Amino acid sequence: MDSPDADSRWTAARALAGQADAVSALAAALAREAIPRVREAMMTALIRIGNAASIEVILPYLRSQDAGVRAAAIEALQALPDAIAPFMTPLLNDGDSDVRLLATELARNMEGSEATRLLCELIDHEHHPNVCAAAIDVLTEVGTPDALPTLERCAVRFAATPFLPFAVAVAMSRISGEES
Amino acid sequence: MDDSKGGSSFAVHISPEQVQRFCEFLYRRTGMSFAESKRYFIDRRLEDRITATGSSSFQEYFSLLRTDADQEIEHLINSFTVNETYFYREEHQLRCMTTSLLDAIVRQKKPGATLRIWSIPCSTGEEPYSIALWLMENWPQVDSYNIEIVGSDIDTRALKAAAEGIYGDRALMRLSRDIVGRYFGPVTGGNYQIDEGLRNSIEFTRANLIDTKDMTQYRDFDLIFCRNVLIYFDDASRRLAAENLYDCLRPGGYICLGHSESMSRISPLFRVSRFPDAIVYQRPEADHD
Repeated sequence: MDSPDADSRWTAARALAGQADAVSALAAALAREAIPRVREAMMTALIRIGNAASIEVILPYLRSQDAGVRAAAIEALQALPDAIAPFMTPLLNDGDSDVRLLATELARNMEGSEATRLLCELIDHEHHPNVCAAAIDVLTEVGTPDALPTLERCAVRFAATPFLPFAVAVAMSRISGEES
Repeated sequence: MDDSKGGSSFAVHISPEQVQRFCEFLYRRTGMSFAESKRYFIDRRLEDRITATGSSSFQEYFSLLRTDADQEIEHLINSFTVNETYFYREEHQLRCMTTSLLDAIVRQKKPGATLRIWSIPCSTGEEPYSIALWLMENWPQVDSYNIEIVGSDIDTRALKAAAEGIYGDRALMRLSRDIVGRYFGPVTGGNYQIDEGLRNSIEFTRANLIDTKDMTQYRDFDLIFCRNVLIYFDDASRRLAAENLYDCLRPGGYICLGHSESMSRISPLFRVSRFPDAIVYQRPEADHD
């Protein structure tokens, strides 16, 4: 993984996929890797390991200044809906609204009732309309009827932000199966 | 896989909002997209799956689907797709091969050089044989290169059938009588067998797309047809398959996916290449930071 040759680093990363004792080596290599293809293979290797340690390696990349790196981190974490579950509450309470917004997307592949619980907890205390909108978008696909009271409260709380009551109405109609 | 948990059929009410929700999930998960005019088609298949899984409502079924209980995503995709394979299926990609892709590939090769084409999964052989037939019928340079066609599948029974090369009328429905007459011979049961020369020209092998070690034996392909299989995989397996396919291609080689599939949604490893007849994906010649 220290080779100056990108093909060698790619091959090494692919060979480490699924090897739990390789997390720290992959973490160090990912931190200094500049070639997107090799970074992708390192992320895949961490996904194949899929434990808490590999999640902890990927999480900091949600704060990257590079949109491509943030997107790669989200895609990697989305592939691990079970392993990410213990990290969701801290992520959805993060001090950085961009991280909270990205974290809502991680709920999309989670089991419906758990995703609903996490996103409703977020919406009920979230002050940033864009974060609420992101959470509502995910609920529109995965939410259960338990989300309806939270969505109603959100529409009232953000009544002055026109797009949010509209998004809430769409989400409620999809979740309830009734026309808005 | 039990596909018939529900016994008797019953009417399940599915509202337009629920159909919308379902369609958005289906698109995100598989890339399959249906226009509003297909509402009846969607309703019928959804109702069938709700009944087959013994679900009492759309809500219950949707929850089961999202967790992929009992491989329901596979059952659902099967109900929405044409599982039947036949000669010259997705002909536009075959046309793209001979009007655009091979010309681009052989620009870097000398006459007589080897050109490797892979059909994975090849099922019972219709696709690799179609590639061979199409090349002989439509590519003037076919005799100028040493063309190797490999057909691979995870299912050894399918591979055995592929090697035998016996097909019924339905599999041959897109071929002209002339082509059937020149390349097939009648066998028992009203079937046809593809001629021995063609059968011997294609190598059939077992391969598992998501087994990296298994895939190391497949290298240096110029063109890969990998159609309608990635939609069945979960996110992690799709990434792995994309990386394996990347390694199997030569730099600059192309990969053709099924019409509802998009490599851009799976992996950034490949570059989108738009040709008049098809959109395909190319392994870049070199890395860029």
